[in-house]
Amino acid sequence: MTVFLQTLVAGVLIGGIYSLIGIGMSLIMGVMGIINLAHGQLMMVAMYITLVLFNFLHLDPYFSLLIAMPCLFLLGVFLQRFLLNPLMKIESILPENQVLMTVGIGMVLTEIARFIFSSDYKSVKTSYSSSAFFIGNISFNVPMCIAFFFALALTVLLFWFLLKTDTGRSIRATAQDKDAATLMGVNTGRITVITFGLGSSLVAAAGCLLLPIFYLFPDIGGPFTLKAFVITILGGLGSTVGAIVGGVVLGIAESLGATYIGMGYKEMVGFVIFVLVLIFLPGGLKRLTKV
Amino acid sequence: MKKRLMLTGLVLIFIFGLNLSPALAQDTIKVGIVLPLTGDQAKFGEIEKQSFDLALGEINAAGGVKGKKLEFIIEDDTGRPEVGRSVVEKLITKDKVIMLGGGYSSSVTYAVAGVCQQNQMPFLINTGSADNITEKGWDYIFRLNPPASKYSTSVEELLEQVIKPKTVVILHENSLFGTSSAKSFDEQCTKAGYKVVLKEGYEAGGIDFKPVLTRVKELNPDIVYMVSYVMDAALLMKQSKELKIAPKMFIGGGAGFTLPEFQQNAGVASEKILSATLWHQVLPFPGAMDYYKKFVAKYNKETEYHGAEAYAAAYVIADVLKRANSFKNEDIKKALSETNMMTVFGPVKFTTWDKMNNQNKASSYVVQWIDGKLEMVWPKDLAAKSFAYPVDWLKQWGY
Repeated sequence: MTVFLQTLVAGVLIGGIYSLIGIGMSLIMGVMGIINLAHGQLMMVAMYITLVLFNFLHLDPYFSLLIAMPCLFLLGVFLQRFLLNPLMKIESILPENQVLMTVGIGMVLTEIARFIFSSDYKSVKTSYSSSAFFIGNISFNVPMCIAFFFALALTVLLFWFLLKTDTGRSIRATAQDKDAATLMGVNTGRITVITFGLGSSLVAAAGCLLLPIFYLFPDIGGPFTLKAFVITILGGLGSTVGAIVGGVVLGIAESLGATYIGMGYKEMVGFVIFVLVLIFLPGGLKRLTKV
Repeated sequence: MKKRLMLTGLVLIFIFGLNLSPALAQDTIKVGIVLPLTGDQAKFGEIEKQSFDLALGEINAAGGVKGKKLEFIIEDDTGRPEVGRSVVEKLITKDKVIMLGGGYSSSVTYAVAGVCQQNQMPFLINTGSADNITEKGWDYIFRLNPPASKYSTSVEELLEQVIKPKTVVILHENSLFGTSSAKSFDEQCTKAGYKVVLKEGYEAGGIDFKPVLTRVKELNPDIVYMVSYVMDAALLMKQSKELKIAPKMFIGGGAGFTLPEFQQNAGVASEKILSATLWHQVLPFPGAMDYYKKFVAKYNKETEYHGAEAYAAAYVIADVLKRANSFKNEDIKKALSETNMMTVFGPVKFTTWDKMNNQNKASSYVVQWIDGKLEMVWPKDLAAKSFAYPVDWLKQWGY
């Protein structure tokens, strides 16, 4: 029983961070209809910002949220405004020109990071990095719990923003029907720029929260892009609620897989779910929740 | 017409220029070294490169080889076999090296050794340790370090004489080195009568080892044996500490567990951890302590067995080239097989034993992290510090 509960706790906690990574991608997917394949690489950039702040200014990684998130928002805005939006006007054989562009952006970001920081593994060591508290026999890793609650808070904030503010409503309108939104006077060009910035800053938050737990190297982006992609499909393309559920489901599935099937098959579990969802539930979890 | 003449002239100059430059550079003897300088094994590559550089400086200061300067062309294999293959092909065809050294990860070394054998290029491996590399009957491949299955011999002795465990858990990275070490340790445990209750492979680069560690805790084994590279090693120990796993002993199967970076990353969780190793500066080999001191003075950091392997390999290469009748492949191969010298890593002699060709016999030792320092604790007659055992893990971790 302890084994099962501990596995579940580990899964839910890591699932919180996965959700945060997935929401950003889902948001971008919803509004622009493209998969942002540089998502993990944007997270990597945020992690390096956090690392530099930690090494030179001794800023706590959690405090860096306040700096890394705006930085990545600006980076996202820049990428969308000058690299992705111009592509929309160009007719090409592949309608998803922008997706190819994001792949390129991801590679460039990785190589720039390698150039500046080299391929070495870096990690931040904080006083709480490996501290844990216990409820009964179950251990809760402190930074993982903090990350989970930050993820929760940021999600609530995002929902408030999407539901209550003007810009938020415009984002939802654009996601539902771009042409109609344009006709109703929504500046959809500006909305896509804001959305990409927002998605980037969410994944930046995930990066800051992950750094005290994990370590960092330039190629860390790829696997996380893949995770975000699986979560987005799992949750239903473009659904933010779906992404949250998808993230937690992926976290739990990986944990259970690692405990009961084998640690080496952890990644496989995620992809098996991915394939099963595509076959049996093509709309993702969104279909079940109807949100 | 004039234009065409000029163009031809330019082309000719260009071709001659290309031909001339290697001719000019021929006063050095070029040896290629393949190491991971970037990627997840970069730390190991770094410590080996620094040791190669240290040795090279000394060799050239002492007159080089046959009156010429020795030159190491160090190429980055990034830890990936396919990159390893292509850099070796470049070293052989473009740089025209006369022999190769280096070879860190087993997977890359295996690929590189294949290319070398095809091209009849003598290759002295100093770290890549999967058993099958020297079991192929490749006559151009020589190995300085013992095979992976022999890394744990000293650990097995210690288990038998001091700890006397009943149950063992083996966690290993599912790479060539990890699986091959885990398999042989598993066989040794069964032979010695210890029960292996769990043998689990994992994908390198995981965030969360807690699911598998929870199972380890539940099984409550006497020994947890781990084969990991450095970042996974640190995470495994940090998370074991978090889950309060308290076996009689945690043992690392070399690789990640001896690097200074393991101690830096794992912090207090690295304390009292045992690891198999192939070298320690207190060993009574001539120059071992000198090498350690020189390394610390030059790079201001500690060195361990990977560095010593590289340092010794550099001296073996110099010795082989001095003895070789010419720098033809055949002659270098012959000189390699006649090697019989003493290095900081111990005596080096390539012989055939246990299905393996051109394999040096080297002993293994056991080290323990005591007060943040890597100390040799086994075999007893060579040990500098006594083996700290038993350990109260929970108290040490501050619970």
